[in-house]
Amino acid sequence: MDRPRVAIFDFACCEGCQLQIVNLEEELLELIDVLHVVEWREAMSEQSREYDIVIIEGSITRPEDEKRLEIIRTRAKTLIALGACATIGGVNKLKNNFNLADVKQCVYGKAANMPHLDTAPTKAVDEVVKVDYKIHGCPIDRKEFTYVIRCLLIGKRPEIPEYPVCVECKARGNPCLWDYGQVCLGPIIRAGCGARCPSSGFRCFGCRGYVDDPNINAAKDVIERYNLSVDALKGKMVLFGSGQGPTNA
Amino acid sequence: MSIKKLKKDIFVHFIDNLIRTVKVIGVQAKGERFDYGLLASAKDLRLDYDVTLQPPKKYFLPPVETLVTYEVGDGYSSQYDCEQFVLIGVHPYDMVAINQLDELFRQDNVDSHYFARRDNATIVACDVVNPSKNVFASSMGTATVKNGYDVLLTDIGDSYLAEAATEKGENLLAKAAGAEEANKEDLNKRQQVWDKNEAGLNKHQLQCKVTDLPRLLGRAYNHPVWEEKAKTCFNCGSCNMVCPTCYCFDIQDDVGWDFITGKRQRAWDGCLLDGFTKVAGGHEFRKKRADRFRHRLYRKGKYVPEKIGGQIACVGCGRCIDACLPDIANPVNVYNRLVADLGVK
Repeated sequence: MDRPRVAIFDFACCEGCQLQIVNLEEELLELIDVLHVVEWREAMSEQSREYDIVIIEGSITRPEDEKRLEIIRTRAKTLIALGACATIGGVNKLKNNFNLADVKQCVYGKAANMPHLDTAPTKAVDEVVKVDYKIHGCPIDRKEFTYVIRCLLIGKRPEIPEYPVCVECKARGNPCLWDYGQVCLGPIIRAGCGARCPSSGFRCFGCRGYVDDPNINAAKDVIERYNLSVDALKGKMVLFGSGQGPTNA
Repeated sequence: MSIKKLKKDIFVHFIDNLIRTVKVIGVQAKGERFDYGLLASAKDLRLDYDVTLQPPKKYFLPPVETLVTYEVGDGYSSQYDCEQFVLIGVHPYDMVAINQLDELFRQDNVDSHYFARRDNATIVACDVVNPSKNVFASSMGTATVKNGYDVLLTDIGDSYLAEAATEKGENLLAKAAGAEEANKEDLNKRQQVWDKNEAGLNKHQLQCKVTDLPRLLGRAYNHPVWEEKAKTCFNCGSCNMVCPTCYCFDIQDDVGWDFITGKRQRAWDGCLLDGFTKVAGGHEFRKKRADRFRHRLYRKGKYVPEKIGGQIACVGCGRCIDACLPDIANPVNVYNRLVADLGVK
């Protein structure tokens, strides 16, 4: 099997998802054995301009980043968005809820008007270029990442769950966190994490993004049944879901 | 087959001795609820439980299992889980569900993976002591059970009555040192428990005979209730995941890093989920929420019964009612609505 040329680029993010790749430990050697990694700033010095597979981490928050991403796309046969910032915009989209000048002022203070701190509304990678595959999560699930890579190498379409977190949560035998007063986003958020947070007693924060067809009527019905306000639910949805359809509905 | 009486302190010794010789799965407290788990001590066993979070089917059909490992160019090898275990505390409605799964997995191609586990299990069923808040087993005719178990326990106050129904059950009870033969008075007490449960496990009353359901559903395909309920359905599949009779699964391959060896796994699937009916080419033949909502209740009340001699594939455990956030999953509510609108013919 020819080893595909792979490059990993980061945009606005904490680089934690790349760190998950570095953290593969015993599997990392097997990974770089089957991939020809030609550029990966976090792990090596070399650079390249030709890629079979490009992995993009982070969201797009500046006009110059859009241009950079577009150029990368023209050089890549396959593009994977890695992690919540790349797949859905992630927590970086919180800023889209505010006036951008206020955001800059709040974050940078006196330096807010320096030209290199120019900012634009946050976009997920697929709002700028075509994305072939998404590896969701904040951070990504390492097992899912390696599964997707192996699928691509044998020319198979990876199966990423379309169903919500409740499926994995119930399969693990968890009691429902709604019964314990938590506003859990499990019913409307894409699974694949193994219901990691609810299994540890924390509500689902929504890091894998909404399922393809979340039922807004059901969500409204449930918050009424639990004597909550729509704002209480939206308050939970904005962390990872700012600017996305169901959050605005 | 024998019916023994085990004083409760003798029962505790019996279970603790059993744990030393074989893997024992039993019902235990899990926070404020109950669930099955590996039993470390008889004192953790809670036969007074109301309902478990998960049904016991996971011990025969796990959420994820490897069916086959393969090596390209060198064939494949089926994987079987053949560890012997004792499963203690199965309520009658869950026992009925296991009996149905046995029948379904025996049909057509016998599912050898299911039966590897099933044949290695000794099931100790247990009559209900405390009804759960949504149980409706009395409506479904599953409040007591007459077959399928190896041993049936009934709490009659200071003792358990233990009836062996199979050779496996006899062998198990033979290990209970200090067990007495049950007398007529004991059997009367057990009958009282059965009479009480046959009427009393009924928080939701089905307004028709359970045997009327297939014909009722035969006339209900285009009823508005499916659209009405599905309006607030998340399609989260929680009702499928906690159901003791749901047995649908999906199968996926995962190749290893050598790209030669790999494994074929199956995992639970659910008919409420978007994508459940997705086939090659991306076609999806039950794309609408209402169609998927209807399908589950048709499986329970019509389609599966047609495969297993008319037995209704809802056993009234009430877990789907507990698990459904928008509170639309209750089968009795839907069936009763159909009875009210369409009548029983």
